[in-house]
Amino acid sequence: MNYTSLEFLLFLAVSILAYFLFPVKKYRWTILLAASYFFYLFAGWRLVGFLLFTTLSTYGTGLWLDHTAKKSKAIIKEKKTEWSREEKKKFKDRVKVRKRLIMAAALVVNFGILSFLKYWNFLAGSFNALFSFGQGSGLPILHLLLPLGISFYTFQSMGYVIDVYREEVPAERNPAKLALFVSFFPQIIQGPISLYSQLSHQLIEPHDFSFTRMQHGLELILWGFFKKVVIADRAVIAIQAVTPDYKEFGGTTLLFILLLYALQLYADFSGGIDISRGVAQILGIDLVDNFRRPYFSTSINDYWRRWHITLGGWLKNYLFYPLAMSECFLGISRRMKETRLGKTAAGSHIAKVLPTSVASLIVFLVVGIWHGANWKYVAFGLWNGGIIMLSTLLKPLFDWTLAKLHIRASSFGFRLFQMLRTFLIVLVGYVFDIAPGFRGGMDMMGRMLTDQNFAAGWTEIRALGLAKADYLLLILGTLVLFTVSLLQERLAQKGQGEETLRSRLDKKPMVLRWGLQFAGIMAVLVLGVWGPGYDPADFVYMQF
Amino acid sequence: MMEELMNILQELRPDVDFETETSLVTGGILDSFDIVSLVGELNDAFDIEIKPNHLVPANFNSAKAILALVEKLQDE
Repeated sequence: MNYTSLEFLLFLAVSILAYFLFPVKKYRWTILLAASYFFYLFAGWRLVGFLLFTTLSTYGTGLWLDHTAKKSKAIIKEKKTEWSREEKKKFKDRVKVRKRLIMAAALVVNFGILSFLKYWNFLAGSFNALFSFGQGSGLPILHLLLPLGISFYTFQSMGYVIDVYREEVPAERNPAKLALFVSFFPQIIQGPISLYSQLSHQLIEPHDFSFTRMQHGLELILWGFFKKVVIADRAVIAIQAVTPDYKEFGGTTLLFILLLYALQLYADFSGGIDISRGVAQILGIDLVDNFRRPYFSTSINDYWRRWHITLGGWLKNYLFYPLAMSECFLGISRRMKETRLGKTAAGSHIAKVLPTSVASLIVFLVVGIWHGANWKYVAFGLWNGGIIMLSTLLKPLFDWTLAKLHIRASSFGFRLFQMLRTFLIVLVGYVFDIAPGFRGGMDMMGRMLTDQNFAAGWTEIRALGLAKADYLLLILGTLVLFTVSLLQERLAQKGQGEETLRSRLDKKPMVLRWGLQFAGIMAVLVLGVWGPGYDPADFVYMQF
Repeated sequence: MMEELMNILQELRPDVDFETETSLVTGGILDSFDIVSLVGELNDAFDIEIKPNHLVPANFNSAKAILALVEKLQDE
């Protein structure tokens, strides 16, 4: 059931009505659970077992961890007077190891399932190629189906397990409530990946119908639809006409497609998230945002704080910090500081930022692999992580150069330069996304740099399945997107708390508000890529 | 102890006024790279072990909060 299909809108209307009309307020959350499972089963009932397994193993692990922690605390309390400080510490260490093993078992099993389904064929293929196994020998290539949203619900569930392990949240005692947290339908297929402490209580608390929330939610959904069906689904037609046989096209067309892909990816993914957040908002639930105008970023670090924010947040909390703060990483830094080199200014800086740099490189390798089972995604991750690592290690050099050249880092001109430079670096990463493989990506980049012919490119671009009117609409759509982003950015810079463009719009005259809403609806209906026999394009991130 | 902490903080980010700032994390002044560097310095200077679960904004938003965390971990 695609978000932009009629079935989804019908399902949504029924779910919202059922939720607010359910007489026993305390149990309104059960409607959300029923709707979430209906949504999941509608997409394919065969793979629901994976979702159930993750839910049950997460539930059991949470309880087990909670029980272990409570029991050990009771023992410590009981033996308070009997035990010496050392005995108490020894006992605490034993409990810590036990808890860590329980958590590790859940992580290994759940991430193991995800990895097996997602990466088995990639690993088996690479293994067979490495050892020159022919067809029919070596590791078997399997026909594996990926359950819908498996990456998203696995990450979200395992975040909960780690939080219970760290005793940041209590374990959920009701399996149905935990099942709702894992499967909540607006977010299961493409996120945002929420924290248990942020989402769970909102799902369970009963919400009353609010006209303002519904209006804001519908406006957000409409905006998501605009980005998806007017911009992304139009752009994808030209992209798909080029990428399968990219060698047939010149460098100008490839560069154009790369820019179009940057537009499509953002409009598609952020549009989908807007729809998810809009739906949740109507139901009284605030989902965290996943994007903050990423193409305005002034560095790659900044870009990853604005793009797919919840995946970045997850990896920062549960992978980056534990790695960078581990005794191993901090120990390397400490030992480096004690060397002769470490006593110099440059050496001391390197010693200080080395653990973070290496940890971030590892995190980006994971980001790359998360995007898909292919060497090109490994390159994508290493490119992004490598740039961050280098920019951190060389920061003093950059600062020194700026000072020597008398460039003010906060000036508009320099910020604009930073944005363009960052966008260029992001685009290089995107080449690996649209290329068929790592070699294809390198070849594509080579063509973009050496084979520029504007006239030939223009002829090719006009024959990619989009009419002149479509290109005009893409330009107009991009201008609208850019203007809205600019207004949002200005609002965010003013730092006025929770204020959004929608809450600002509330204060405008009704004619303007209704006019904009009507224009939005008409734009989606008339200018959206629907057409006869329309088959809605899947959201890009649904395949994760 | 506050003086030693201030020295560490000033060395880490000389551009920040740690005496008055109360939203070091929520205001985005310290990023994750700064935090990890700071954790390494604090662990060594005060002989403590800051863990990932201590990395909540409430513990790092001001010099006072950081000092409270250090003191709490020293007592454990």
